[in-house]
Amino acid sequence: MSEEGSTVKRGEYSAAVYANKQIGQRFYRLGLDFSGAGAEAFSKIQAGQFVQLDLSSAALPAAENIPEDLKDAAERKVLLRRPFSFANVTTRDDKTSVEILYCVVGPASLRMTTLSAGDSVSVIGPLGNGFSVPEGKKTAILVSGGMGAGPLQHLAKILTADFPDIDVIAFAGAKTKDGLPFKRQLDKIAQQLEFSLPEFAMYGVKSLVATDDGSAGFAGLVTDCLLEWLGKSDLAGESMVIYSCGPEVMLARMAEIAKERNIDCQVSMERRMACGIGICQSCAIECKTDSPGESVYKTCCTDGPVFDSKEIVFSS
Amino acid sequence: MEESVDISVEFAGLKLANPVFTASGTCGYADELSDFMDVNSLGGFTTKSITLKPRKGNATPRIVETDSGMLNAIGWANIGLDAFVEEKLPIIEKLSCAVFVNIAGETIDEYVAVAERLAGERGIAGLELNISCPNVELGGISFGTDPSQVAEVTSAVKKVAGDKVLMVKLAPAVTDVSVIAQVAVDAGADALSLINTFTAMVIDIETRKPILANRTGGLSGPAIKPIAVYLVNKVYNEVTKSLGIPILGMGGIRTVSDAIEFIIAGASAVAVGTANFIEPGCSVKIIDGIKKYCARNNISDIKELIGSLETGQDASH
Repeated sequence: MSEEGSTVKRGEYSAAVYANKQIGQRFYRLGLDFSGAGAEAFSKIQAGQFVQLDLSSAALPAAENIPEDLKDAAERKVLLRRPFSFANVTTRDDKTSVEILYCVVGPASLRMTTLSAGDSVSVIGPLGNGFSVPEGKKTAILVSGGMGAGPLQHLAKILTADFPDIDVIAFAGAKTKDGLPFKRQLDKIAQQLEFSLPEFAMYGVKSLVATDDGSAGFAGLVTDCLLEWLGKSDLAGESMVIYSCGPEVMLARMAEIAKERNIDCQVSMERRMACGIGICQSCAIECKTDSPGESVYKTCCTDGPVFDSKEIVFSS
Repeated sequence: MEESVDISVEFAGLKLANPVFTASGTCGYADELSDFMDVNSLGGFTTKSITLKPRKGNATPRIVETDSGMLNAIGWANIGLDAFVEEKLPIIEKLSCAVFVNIAGETIDEYVAVAERLAGERGIAGLELNISCPNVELGGISFGTDPSQVAEVTSAVKKVAGDKVLMVKLAPAVTDVSVIAQVAVDAGADALSLINTFTAMVIDIETRKPILANRTGGLSGPAIKPIAVYLVNKVYNEVTKSLGIPILGMGGIRTVSDAIEFIIAGASAVAVGTANFIEPGCSVKIIDGIKKYCARNNISDIKELIGSLETGQDASH
């Protein structure tokens, strides 16, 4: 992965919706096209970087299509942009097409479901830093919890394209099979390493699925599923790199595992954001310093969202 | 027609290219917005609050969205005076807009120390005295709601401010903003900025806890605009108009129409804040829109608009 992503100028760009496909009860994949300067800017976006979408003027679904638990959320007005990473980026001639994996959880994501082909969306980006590939790695392990899968899909594409000598495998976890944001129905999915998740299989990346309740794949936490796999492997810790995205409690556990086994680990963090461009200081991430017991705040939007897991003081 | 419209304004002895500022806390220390707009095209710029020592700021969550607004409890996270002088002043000196440094502190001595250090720096047009921030335990709004404290901190800073324009930023949630405004002016304020945010709260009904780690935060955004317009007009009528003291009006400005409301209400200039988070270049659009508004309404000089609110009575002008 080049350093180019960090020198691409950020801007506000208008994207055209080309698709908005529901892939699960609450999961959708939004397809956006950029042309002109936006195509140029986003052609170089790194996996793990993000954008800020303006959803304030997108329409609500019809009342009968609003889930019961989101009726109150539907009454909320949307003011601030919302941050998303891309799950896929494709460049073709002078157009850059991107996909955003999203889950319907609140007033903004509810409005996203009504975007249709031809609509335009204001996008600010590319923002933040992306995942990076340290020297000398032979195996890359992607570990996602729930909606963390999105940026790791983009990363799988980049790694397999640009780093053919690195073996890539993916672990995807959720509370139940309905919480796994993938296109395939995951009933009775096998526990072993297989090409079971199309969003990873399309790059030749095998995956293991874990669900807390055992409704698909490994029964238990995805971190325990990873531990079981690591236990069976004879790979040296230093030859591996872990990339993880998901709930913070999962990332904290990933940091522990990585530290115990001396494996490099990068985590994609999340915080409530207002500006997303490094100005408002809302998205503070507590980070360790060289002085033990002392910490500093960094910004998730600009110093992150990707951090070395050793650096983070995880919130309990 | 727009070319013949003059939207420059005189502001406490400063000549501003136009009446549009960006508000403290929403635009960084200098030119952080420059990926999205030409900061030099602004009439004015107010920096993030600078305190004597660097401050980490509050625990997260620091913000939460509300309908047509947001709460913030950043807690004056800033790089501190020394780093500001070393790293940011050289950039500020190159800006052509009028730069006001927002200064803050937990004690009057801290306000004075920051003001004194900056008073001699060229490149700074003025100081904005932050005695209205509701998100810190000491300082901020605790100085701005009590008239005698307002007088004390304003006159102490005035003594050391040199030739810098001293602009006092007012809190809206007081019994009578005009009382505070008058006290600030009597103590030496050259200008007033209003309004700062309102203390507010959002509760998570599943956990039964406030969303913000600080429990409360300052409400900003379109929701507060009508109150801000009212208070600007009140202070203009009751305090500043007769004294010729300019007001920097702010609170929920998003569009040109919003900005014009404040000017008609009595603001000599306006500041765009929360809107910068949604559309970082919107202040430039507002500048252009003000020109168009004046052209459309045959206003050749924007000064005709300031405080031009029709009272609807048989007023003696």
